Amino acid sequence: MISRQLSERIAFGLIIVAAAIVILPIFFIIGYVVVQGLGAISWTFLTEMPREGMRAGGVMPAIVGTLLLTLGTAIVAVPIGLGGAIYLSEYAGDNATTRAIRIAIINLAGIPSVVYGLFGLGLFVIFLNFGTSILAGSLTLGIMTLPVIISTAEEALRAVPQSFRLVSTSLGGTRWQTIQRVVLPQALPGIITGIILGVERAAGETAPILFTAAAFFLPRLPASIFDQTMALPYHLYVISTQVPGMPIQIQYGTALVLLVFVLSLNLVATLIRRHYRKQRVW
Amino acid sequence: MSENPRPDVKIRIEHLNVRYSDGTESLHDISMDIYTHQINVLFGPSGGGKSTLLRMLNRLNDLADVSEQEGRILLDGENVLARDYDVLQLRRRLGIVFARPVPLPMSIYENVIYGLRLAGVRDKQQLDATVERALKQGALWDEVSDRLSDSAYDLSGGQQQRLCVARSLALQPEVIMLDEPTSGLDPISTFKVEQTLQQLKRDYTIVIVPHSVQQAARIADWAAFFLQGDLIEWDEGRQLFTDPQDQRTEDYITGRFG
Repeated sequence: MISRQLSERIAFGLIIVAAAIVILPIFFIIGYVVVQGLGAISWTFLTEMPREGMRAGGVMPAIVGTLLLTLGTAIVAVPIGLGGAIYLSEYAGDNATTRAIRIAIINLAGIPSVVYGLFGLGLFVIFLNFGTSILAGSLTLGIMTLPVIISTAEEALRAVPQSFRLVSTSLGGTRWQTIQRVVLPQALPGIITGIILGVERAAGETAPILFTAAAFFLPRLPASIFDQTMALPYHLYVISTQVPGMPIQIQYGTALVLLVFVLSLNLVATLIRRHYRKQRVW
Repeated sequence: MSENPRPDVKIRIEHLNVRYSDGTESLHDISMDIYTHQINVLFGPSGGGKSTLLRMLNRLNDLADVSEQEGRILLDGENVLARDYDVLQLRRRLGIVFARPVPLPMSIYENVIYGLRLAGVRDKQQLDATVERALKQGALWDEVSDRLSDSAYDLSGGQQQRLCVARSLALQPEVIMLDEPTSGLDPISTFKVEQTLQQLKRDYTIVIVPHSVQQAARIADWAAFFLQGDLIEWDEGRQLFTDPQDQRTEDYITGRFG
């Protein structure tokens, strides 16, 4: 029989170790990528086309492609996601329809990203004949991002005190006026954070764009949304596995660019949240 | 019941029954009148249905989960519970102030004109004039006239509550309903609000749920005693508080329960 004090100490120790293990990988991953890849980063690397079978030159088209796909994802997912969240939070009661919608959202979040890719290939690339394109990739990534945006936005909307809605209604406001003038502005920081986190996830995905948008090697910028494009995550996959004699530094340099892009989005989300939390009156 | 001629009826409540889906606070067969230019007091222990009645009058309870609702509420003779009644207009005619002051997260100025903005008023002169009039009527103008663009949350609790009164007054309602408006206020702020009510009743009809029996007795022209969803007694204030007809009313106002 061990004493209660001893078991307390053991439990505390184990929990501390677990917490530390959570922190370690992020330092290792970032540290390793920076050490290995920083040497590759230069103005040329960021602004030039890849050359010599991607073994030299830069990653500019992949950066531009990822930016475009991220933007496209947001354009697809934000209006639908926000609309859905507003409906669920402000209009829908608790009935069979809304329960079905919620179950759909949960399941949507659980679908593996490669399945989204296959779905995008079938629906957007082939059936709707968009071809392998930024459009098809954005639509696929957009659908994949919907659950994140809907759930975070709904949570942000629900956090707005009910008393604001009551006051606005009592002064003759319609439901939509109340949403527009009070609820949405108050929920906006939370909504923006959710959008950024959802889109950031999409920016780093490879599988959904594998069949729908990504080009193996395309040393020019896309001409329209019907054009295919290079993208950082897929480019990283290609140069890490498909190109023999690839300099390690270029691989990690590419990884570093992707990491910085995604982490800056993360940082922006955090800053927005902090800024508005300080201003919030409720 | 007193013998004096009665004031004009503003709102007539006929056999009103209300029940919430979750079984909390309900109203059973309430019939009474709200008189024009009087302070009509609804009082009694909590859970008696007073707030529910207020929120039935301007149909704010449309937002709540009401499972059962019968009877009629006649505002100037028209049944506001009718399906096709213009609810938005109704809520502009019957202003409400809640127990806890709820300034909207915007400036003092924007709070006051919020209702006008909803109605689409854009004329700057009209808005400015309304802000001054409403804040004066709410006895807040002198304290805030030089900082109208400050956040409403910079005001003290008592000021916030007077702002909420002013915000209702901005719409020039016919009836002002107050749900324990002084429950969170100190005695001086409470006194100010009560004083304001005495002035307001000249232009408006007042319905108030007071936060204590003492307050009810101080301000009531007409008083209705509610107990667990029943209207026990309804009479002129000085009659009800000096010579109640029902034993339960007497027990409550003398402090034997509550």
